[in-house]
Amino acid sequence: MKNILNKAVAIIAISAALTSCSSDEVAISGTGNLDLEFDNSYGENDLLLNSQSYTTSNNEALKISTLKYIVSNIVLTKEDGTTYTYPKSQSYFIIDESDSEKRVAGLVDVPAGNYTKVTFGIGVDKTQWELGASGQGDFLATAQAAGMMWSWTAGYKFMAFEGSFTSPTVTTATDFKVHTGQTGTDYNYTEVTLTLPTNAMVRTTITPEIHIVADASKIIDGTNKFKLSESATIMGGSSLALITANLINMFSVAHVHND
Amino acid sequence: MKNTIIKVLFALLVLQFAHANPVKDSISSFTFQKMQLDAALDFDCDACGCSASGGSMGFSSMLNANFVGLRYFYQSYTSRDGIFANSPWIDENFNTTQVWAKIPISDKVQVTALIPYHFHNRELATGTDQISGLGDVTVMATYTLFKTQKDSTVFTHNLQLGGGVKIPTGKFKAANNLGTVNQSFQLGTGSWDYLLLTEYVIKKKNLGLNTMLNYTFKTENDKNYQFGNQFNYGSTLFYLLDLKSIQVVPQIGLAGEVYGQNKQYGTGVQNTAGDILFGKFGFEIGKDKFSLGVNAMLPVNQNLANGAIEANYRWSVNLNYTL
Repeated sequence: MKNILNKAVAIIAISAALTSCSSDEVAISGTGNLDLEFDNSYGENDLLLNSQSYTTSNNEALKISTLKYIVSNIVLTKEDGTTYTYPKSQSYFIIDESDSEKRVAGLVDVPAGNYTKVTFGIGVDKTQWELGASGQGDFLATAQAAGMMWSWTAGYKFMAFEGSFTSPTVTTATDFKVHTGQTGTDYNYTEVTLTLPTNAMVRTTITPEIHIVADASKIIDGTNKFKLSESATIMGGSSLALITANLINMFSVAHVHND
Repeated sequence: MKNTIIKVLFALLVLQFAHANPVKDSISSFTFQKMQLDAALDFDCDACGCSASGGSMGFSSMLNANFVGLRYFYQSYTSRDGIFANSPWIDENFNTTQVWAKIPISDKVQVTALIPYHFHNRELATGTDQISGLGDVTVMATYTLFKTQKDSTVFTHNLQLGGGVKIPTGKFKAANNLGTVNQSFQLGTGSWDYLLLTEYVIKKKNLGLNTMLNYTFKTENDKNYQFGNQFNYGSTLFYLLDLKSIQVVPQIGLAGEVYGQNKQYGTGVQNTAGDILFGKFGFEIGKDKFSLGVNAMLPVNQNLANGAIEANYRWSVNLNYTL
């Protein structure tokens, strides 16, 4: 009996010793995919459209019905500091809170590597717009279908933030609309760079997901604050430059999944 | 490389035990001298199916040093399913039924085996998620380094050292770790894990104090996931009430668990490290060759997964048969 037990333990120990170590590092080559997930919040809370009321620092209560924005010109920075620019013609995405299918910018054929930062634009850059309607490819139709075009001459809506509000002075629910895009004086395209808390490890077999939180409270209640009771429609003028400045601080990375 | 070193050390340890001189154990079971808490038997669930468990769950038996038995234990957790302040908190129920045995090889060496069967569930917004099946089997050897000869002094001491291996017989499903919920909703770690343990018991008459420390080295599994190493510690005060026909042993103590960060592809996974301290209490009743134990653990202080996991309580019941 004792011998059998001794042998059993020894066999287990030996088999453990013979179990080869899993290969530490698969050679980094080829291409893989990468997902940028945009998870919209209002402050610390997950953003809920229509149902939830959110109060601003100006004591205005918002019910948000629409949050859409264009994410563009994605650039990934590797561990060694080199960058990979996603092909420009494919680098325009519309993020739409109302459609769970449209909260992820899925990148394909990304060179395998360990990425430490992601940079993206909010809106469509001026160079692209100046290519004219024929230079926009499919994205023009996509933006039109999503309601993210004013008109060709007026250009794209970079961000649409809509709903209704009440305030101490406006007691019946009143619609509000905040749209950013170019004005006569400012183009209002901006870029955001986020450092990842852990590397996004793109491999042929790993599709990392960068989970980005976009805090909608920053749009009108960020560094620059707006009262909807003073103007429920913000679509032009100098306000848009101030809102664009707010957007830069709207994004953060919660975590990266390497699955 | 590190894995290989651990494996070799373990193999040497086992060989040493295998060569230990067998001495006939002449002390009958069921004497106070043989009462021992057993730190070794804390290794029941590790990080699988109990994120925070590691299982300072409990001493097996103070009434019988060598036994086979059956134990059921339940662990209740609440985890936040999401990253936001208004993300839902979901209940997680971890149930384990375990066959366990502690078998003497010699006077100084004992081999312990734990064979768990898990059945866990959690209530996600999308529906109930259930997993069940064989967990990771653990085999350990303990060696008595020092033991006071009986009746010679007021205080008796017993110091044991040991080591073991946890075999990946439980299924690790990478899909269970998608999202942000408890990363330990698994049947097993999927990895060969190695453990070292030490236990010290001091007794005076009917009163005893057991102190144990153990450490589990966890390795990377074939899905490139590696659970964080785990340190368990605990101290339990126990008292023997000998009522002639039956023995009753009430016990009370503290047990703590400290978890290192999990890794995926060698990179740390956020919000997976943590620590927890439990208060525990219970009793054991022995009659003839049988003993029945009941224990409960309540958290005193915890910081698991950066606050995204809360342990609520644990309890267990076991029935042992003395060999």
